[in-house]
Amino acid sequence: MDLYKEKIKKLYDETASLIVRLSFEGKLSSEEMRFLLNLLDFVILKRGNFEIVSTLKKWISKYDGSETDEIIKATLLAVDFNNSDSIRFNMELIRELLEVKG
Amino acid sequence: MNLKLREELREDLMFDLESERRVLSSMLHSEDACIEAYSLLSTSDFYSPKHAAVFELIISLFEREIHPTYVEMLKEAHSLGLLTNPQDIEELKYIAEHYIDDENIKYWIKKVKDKSKLRKFEAFLRKNYQVLGEQQEIDVEQTLMAAEEELTNLTALEIDDWIDTPEDMANLGYNEVERRFLRFKEIKEKHKGVIPLDGLPTGFDNLNHITLGYKPGDLIILGAQTGHGKTAFALHTAKAIAVDNKKNILYLNTEMSREQIALRWGSILSGIEHDRIRSGDINETELSIIVNGYSRLRESGFYSYPCPNLTPEKTISIARKFKAQKDIQMMIVDYIGRMDKLDMRLQEWQILEQIVKAQKMLAQNLKIAVMCLVQLNPDGTLQGAKRMKNECDLMLKLSPISREELEENEELKKYLNPNYYIFIEKNRDGRSGVRIPVNFDLQKQTMKDAERVAI
Repeated sequence: MDLYKEKIKKLYDETASLIVRLSFEGKLSSEEMRFLLNLLDFVILKRGNFEIVSTLKKWISKYDGSETDEIIKATLLAVDFNNSDSIRFNMELIRELLEVKG
Repeated sequence: MNLKLREELREDLMFDLESERRVLSSMLHSEDACIEAYSLLSTSDFYSPKHAAVFELIISLFEREIHPTYVEMLKEAHSLGLLTNPQDIEELKYIAEHYIDDENIKYWIKKVKDKSKLRKFEAFLRKNYQVLGEQQEIDVEQTLMAAEEELTNLTALEIDDWIDTPEDMANLGYNEVERRFLRFKEIKEKHKGVIPLDGLPTGFDNLNHITLGYKPGDLIILGAQTGHGKTAFALHTAKAIAVDNKKNILYLNTEMSREQIALRWGSILSGIEHDRIRSGDINETELSIIVNGYSRLRESGFYSYPCPNLTPEKTISIARKFKAQKDIQMMIVDYIGRMDKLDMRLQEWQILEQIVKAQKMLAQNLKIAVMCLVQLNPDGTLQGAKRMKNECDLMLKLSPISREELEENEELKKYLNPNYYIFIEKNRDGRSGVRIPVNFDLQKQTMKDAERVAI
């Protein structure tokens, strides 16, 4: 395994373990843990659409704990990462909600 | 001091946790490693109970067609309540970190397997030592013979191997005769003389009657010249098994693309000429007939794997995967002459012989029927035919009936439009040397028994 792949693998293992550990410590709910694990597999192993990552970054930069943020979070948790239609539909919804936030 | 040394030695000898971790880690990263470990190891081969639990978890994901990544394993372990403290997560991570390239998987599997055998050997020694200590009077001959049998099983045999005792053989024989006796009675009473099949339907009534179907463990070889219906025969078989009888089969094609195979099905299931479907020259009624045909295919058990660079090793790995995940009853390899040569020094017939041997072993190990399609020479002979014939259970040849024969052969005049023969060159379980006249519609890619002329 080359150095780059080795680093990515280490990052993947560490991140996955961290997510489950945080759930253990009660800092993440089961749904949040599942979402983050699925996102990790989707981005690193399935090399899925990186648009989802840029949308998430945009959301984090605008996050203020408002009601819209709660709706965005609920929308994210409902994403089925095995269904491309579900990803597309929910990302579109989140982008619209982010526009509403301004 | 001596005792301590022995304990240390034993600890080192009886298990190898690193090999166990490497096998598990490789299974998390590579499907090929999963297939290998799935077929060669069992839970009891792992010394560490935690490793055994992880192995079971990975296998359960694999069987459900979920790619067993580290994340999937964590999710599964979490939902089953197997993660009880943060230390469990660290242990799983430690396993995942022991990654190896999957080319080395067989080496690590062997190490795990060897240790497992060694532990069984130790248990054998302990048990026999106990027998010596506990019994007052010992039948030496009997004790030694029992020990020898157990030891033979440990050294010579794999998990699935089996030696029949005289009692086993007698029971098996009686059960088989009884089954056939009851079936014969049933045929006479219920089916009015029509013999039910022992295996999978062939798609031809006459061939069914002679062979009683393709049975688990059977290797069937079908030979035909180029352009004389090898693929049509394979898909006709697939239709009989997967579409008409909803049994799962795996079809490996080395020549055709996914689109070509899919288009052929359109023709086979609708009865509309293949050329017209290919060019799109069909009307709306025909389109709806074709759609109807594809909906039958959708509900069937037909799994297709187009693979231009197929090797014997790859067929084994794919068949194992589909047996585990889809419980396939049959695999069709279309065709073996197109398989990649791994050793360029070998002659063509030697390679074909090796491939055929590998397929026969595969059929027996997985208890599925395997059909291999081979190409006949222009004179209707087969290269390496004798050796292939030795290996297979059923050898069929598909060949056109010449115009002269159609005009001169009185027997053929009893049939409506026969244009091909299926010649049974070898049949381990029944009659051979039989020619079955069939009708092959090249345009519609369909085959059927040639109908008898009504008198």
